[in-house]
Amino acid sequence: MIVDTNVQPHFADNAEIRQYLPEAHQLRAIPDVEQQWYQAPGGDYRQDLYGEHYPGSDPETVGRHLFEDSGVDYAILNPLTRGNIADYLLNSRICAAVNDWLLERWLEPDSSNRFRGTIRVNPEDPKGAVSEIERLAGHPKLVQVGVPMQSREPYGKPMFEPIWEAAAAHGLPVAVHINGGNGVDHPPTFAGHAHTYPGYAAFMPLNYFVHLATLIVEGMFGRHPGLKFVFADGGYDILTPLMWRLDTFWLSMRDQTPWVDRYPSEYLPGHVRFCSSAFDGPVEVDKMQRWMDFTGKSELLMYGSSYPHWSSSSPDVFAEGLDAAQREKVLWQNASELYGLKEGVR
Amino acid sequence: MKLVDVGKFGVGVYNVRGALYAIVNYCSHQGAPLCQGLLGGTNESAGDAPDRVRRVRDGQIVRCPWHNWEFDVTTGQNVADARRRVRTYEVDVSDGQVYLTA
Repeated sequence: MIVDTNVQPHFADNAEIRQYLPEAHQLRAIPDVEQQWYQAPGGDYRQDLYGEHYPGSDPETVGRHLFEDSGVDYAILNPLTRGNIADYLLNSRICAAVNDWLLERWLEPDSSNRFRGTIRVNPEDPKGAVSEIERLAGHPKLVQVGVPMQSREPYGKPMFEPIWEAAAAHGLPVAVHINGGNGVDHPPTFAGHAHTYPGYAAFMPLNYFVHLATLIVEGMFGRHPGLKFVFADGGYDILTPLMWRLDTFWLSMRDQTPWVDRYPSEYLPGHVRFCSSAFDGPVEVDKMQRWMDFTGKSELLMYGSSYPHWSSSSPDVFAEGLDAAQREKVLWQNASELYGLKEGVR
Repeated sequence: MKLVDVGKFGVGVYNVRGALYAIVNYCSHQGAPLCQGLLGGTNESAGDAPDRVRRVRDGQIVRCPWHNWEFDVTTGQNVADARRRVRTYEVDVSDGQVYLTA
């Protein structure tokens, strides 16, 4: 079995979202999906997929590429929501429109039962985010909550806690993914803006660690034993040195956050997963097996194609260099456990 | 605390609310002179308190002067990770004399 945990479905065109927005918001400006400073040459998505409609917008084509060409059994759909928009109430309506579209266009017509979806919410509107989770959490094909990587505060801060509490109460992991089509963007590195796209693409995913570190240190996982986070842009390969650092500081300064009652790294197996990314891991594949076993990363990583992104990767390329047990874990076992997907039950 | 010049590194003898305890003057981390560290209490989690912490074990926690590791002088245990302990010694008082047993 193979589970693809990171697929971005798109509207057929940027205007299609308006069909799913309430009348009151019809005249509002909404950024396009690819409206951002940093972009891959020729566009963010696979060149062969641009056509009359947007890449990744036709369920049948996406299904053929994933299920037939790549041999995937289940695909977790995590759509973008056009970035952080200053009007947080409008942004919440955009999230709801994306959710309604995902259900109507992708999940409900899918008789093959291979697609699963994400409840997109806007963390800048905690009340709205909680009510969106409450509205949709009962749907059997919606298996996680989705939020942007871009945030003006790290996700461990207390204003976000009601959202994570609601997700955990419904047994839904929270997937963090870089959001395209930015309204209000934040600098992609600690020291501001990258010069060119490679600088952005290499370092932007690493921001996950700020969210992860604060979730641990602020005690979010300790207070919500069922809370799980999925970092969908990868970056698992830098996890080990960063966790060493966090564990070391905790030994010295534990008394400042005494609710952290174990090594920070000990929260990982119960609370944290990563989707794979084409940029992750050692360049030399013969170092892959060993590096995966540091910090128990074999238990944390799940294959994610990033389809239809230009850097999407197939299961075979992703699993190159792994041993047999590691392959099984990262290609399906970890994901099937997290999302409750069973082989042959489709 | 009284630092006694015995053994290779010296031993710190602490009076914690009338009872005597002794630990080696050598941190289990990188060998710093542990007993020169600040003596005080430590914080534990208190969900209901406004600052979410409670001060406990007053007068029995020494903080290593180098990297701030906390040790409970009554047990030798590191507060964060009990497995990272320092050596303790039995203390007996007889006829006004204090005896350390290694």
